[in-house]
Amino acid sequence: MFFKLALSNVKKSVKDYAVYFLTLSFGVCLFYMFNSIDSQQSMLLLSESQQGIIKSMIQIISGLSVFVSIILGFLIIYANRFLIRRRKKELGLYMLLGMEKGRISRILVLETFIISLISLGVGLLVGVFASQGLSVVSAKMFEVNLSNFHFVFSIGSFLKTILYFGIIFLVIMLFNVVAVSKYKLIDLLNASKRNENLKVKNPGISVLIFLISFACIGYAYRCIIHNGMMEVNFEFWQAIFFGSLGTLLFFMSLSGFLLKVLKANKRVYLKGLNMFVLRQINSKINTNFVSMTVICIMLLVTIGALASGIGMASAFSDGIKEAAPFDASIRSYYDEENNESALPDDTEITKIIGDKLDEISDEHLEISLYLLPIKYGDIIRESGIGDDRKFSLGSFTETGIAAMKLSDYNSVLKMQKKQPVSLGDNEYLFNCNYDAVKEYYEKQKYESIMLDGKEYKLYKDTMFGVQYETSMMLSDAGTFVLPDKALEKYKPVQKILNINYKGNTQFCEEKFKGEILPSLSIKATGITAQTIKDQSLGIKVLVSYIAIYIGLVFLITSVAVLALQQLSESSDNIERYALLREIGAEERMINKALFAQIFIYFMMPLALAIVHSVVGLYVANRVIIVVGRTNIVWNTVVAAIIFLAVYGAYFLATFLSCKGMIREKSRI
Amino acid sequence: MSILKVENVEKYYGNKGNLTKAVDGISFEVEKGEYVGIMGASGSGKTTLLNCISTIDFPTAGHIYINGKDITTLGSKKLAKFRREELGFVFQEFNLLDTLTAFENIALALSILGTNPNEIEVRVREVASRLEILEVLKKYPYQMSGGQKQRVACARAIATNPSLVLADEPTGALDSKSAKMLLESFERLNCELNATILMVTHDAFTASYCKRIIFIKDGKIFNELVRGNDSRKQFFHRIIDVVTLLGGENSNVF
Repeated sequence: MFFKLALSNVKKSVKDYAVYFLTLSFGVCLFYMFNSIDSQQSMLLLSESQQGIIKSMIQIISGLSVFVSIILGFLIIYANRFLIRRRKKELGLYMLLGMEKGRISRILVLETFIISLISLGVGLLVGVFASQGLSVVSAKMFEVNLSNFHFVFSIGSFLKTILYFGIIFLVIMLFNVVAVSKYKLIDLLNASKRNENLKVKNPGISVLIFLISFACIGYAYRCIIHNGMMEVNFEFWQAIFFGSLGTLLFFMSLSGFLLKVLKANKRVYLKGLNMFVLRQINSKINTNFVSMTVICIMLLVTIGALASGIGMASAFSDGIKEAAPFDASIRSYYDEENNESALPDDTEITKIIGDKLDEISDEHLEISLYLLPIKYGDIIRESGIGDDRKFSLGSFTETGIAAMKLSDYNSVLKMQKKQPVSLGDNEYLFNCNYDAVKEYYEKQKYESIMLDGKEYKLYKDTMFGVQYETSMMLSDAGTFVLPDKALEKYKPVQKILNINYKGNTQFCEEKFKGEILPSLSIKATGITAQTIKDQSLGIKVLVSYIAIYIGLVFLITSVAVLALQQLSESSDNIERYALLREIGAEERMINKALFAQIFIYFMMPLALAIVHSVVGLYVANRVIIVVGRTNIVWNTVVAAIIFLAVYGAYFLATFLSCKGMIREKSRI
Repeated sequence: MSILKVENVEKYYGNKGNLTKAVDGISFEVEKGEYVGIMGASGSGKTTLLNCISTIDFPTAGHIYINGKDITTLGSKKLAKFRREELGFVFQEFNLLDTLTAFENIALALSILGTNPNEIEVRVREVASRLEILEVLKKYPYQMSGGQKQRVACARAIATNPSLVLADEPTGALDSKSAKMLLESFERLNCELNATILMVTHDAFTASYCKRIIFIKDGKIFNELVRGNDSRKQFFHRIIDVVTLLGGENSNVF
């Protein structure tokens, strides 16, 4: 009997709140998918460094999953409270008919149990299949072949999902039992009579708060643009605080402000159902401005995560080829701890390695780097860039400028199959390919430098961008190439050995990493093009997955709340729209009004979040340019498309189901 | 000229085996400027009849003409147009939109009609002053008394100058003082504006304000009373007599 009652209640609420239950299942599905990555890797032929990345990815994702489950937990608790509140009258009726509170609780527990079972089941089922797709995507992103594609089922992730969501649902059950025990019959029966508190705010005050909110948001923007995102300091927290406060005040006063403005414009206000739509929105935001604010901020995080995540990912993977022109490079340093200021005279990497080098390579080249008594700050300080942008350079300005002999430079060019250059006696060539500092040089006129009492003019009046070693990214922050004679009296501070493999790459790679690098007796680091490729791909996958995981969870959570708020209101709306019909509003007018109401409600937090994120991404873009050379604009477009697709789908689903509700019930 | 002409209207529910004749062949006419009441016990079919007239429901057979137009043949889109142009509604439960102020509730009926915004304001104030609700125009429904709400609903119904005002138990949720005020307003609208009102009620006191009363029993017209030159009290007693005859819903009044 009770089971039957619970079952029919579940059926009804699943029908009315389909959007919410789909979200729940989707959340479970995402949770399973991303936690099952460790069992998927068996399918992929991954290199050692990629496996390392996957290992850290699994750790990060399981840490994130706790966070994600908390977010989803909040969504579920919020939704549950909502659904219970809407059913007060029904619960009151049970009590009136003589059902004890214990039994009512039992019905609710049973309902929650059925719902959680269904959503867990559906979510896991979809997740198990979708995770196969994720393997394919992973393989593609790591640019490896799926060695032996087979159906992967991750028991670990399966149990983890059940555990996490089981706990959430258990909390909900307890929550409901406590809630029911507190209810009084009189309140339950009168629940529908008591409307949402229509707080009548003085419109004048609304306008004032609205203006204050603008001031707050403007101040927050100023702080964050001035401070940037790299440094978390007082100004940064100021930006966060005023941004949040401004957002809260914005939603608190928005509807009052709109009402005031539109009321003054009678042509708009008194046209068709405009007045009705505006009032609908007004009453809804007045009670929900806090959740609106939270949603807006969550959307901001989503946009940020998606855009900068994808941006970061491509920043790492773009231009690997350019950054690694040789199969391997070794860079030797002088030992600062032993108070050396230059390399020992006889340091020659090629000789130290000896015969082993010939086993893997026919073509190798050792070049030297020198340190000039000119500091980077010397040429940058003269530039036209204001002091406020210096922050991203850090101690860089205090470093001496690196220099290279022309002969070495030409050898590098030759090895890269490029045309050599020839410098006059009093000329120097400027080489730089690190994007973050490039613009500093571009802005200044580094026409000539003085070195040892001799003036050198800039060769061809331009900047060259040759990558003369293999490294994680284009990282030459500025090297002066001088005629050999000019550097004769200096001692090299670094040596770089560039190697191109011969024969089997795999063999050479193993030989280089396994034998040559460990046997080096000097202070040196070595890196291979293969490692760089693996790592940057790994980071790309890592960052994209995390961004997508967090972004999607935040997105569906916030849109689900919006949808719930609109759907749950439709019980009130049914009467309102029926009344409109009775006083002669056509179906078309009513649909338009409903559409406008839901559209505006969905757009409001999004619009502000977009404005916030435009500012945020403008600032973040500067960070990403420091890390890599990708501009974020294109990625933002991709992120925006994903984002709008999900958002649009939720909006449409909400609209259609609201429309169904008001139509269905009005047929007398 | 008759505003409303009901011709042999039937409304059946159910199927062959279990047929309920809610309205069973009712015919009558209402002239312009009339104030007609429909009385009957609950279940007699009076609300079904009103629903058919108000185009919310459709009769199984028969025709209903309002202003010479046969509303039983209109499509749903035309019906909406017809409703907003020709009819005004007053319900027992007030049916005001709780999110709108009194002013806006009244203005909404006009704005749906596409009335010029400047005219809307003038019109709302005019109707409101006639119903003595000028002072509550800025209030929300939850800030008003039941009587005020019902007069706002009434103002909404007549603001559009409908050919016919339909009232379904308008005093049902009001205390006797508010009910009296509302009925006096109706009477005034009828006399001064020559508004045609059709009111469904089961309450003899409410009915005594009408000029003519049609009694319905089991879906059929049972009797008809015309007030003529009687005082309201005399008319009231005549109504009570019929009600008692009908099976006495209000026999416990005394």
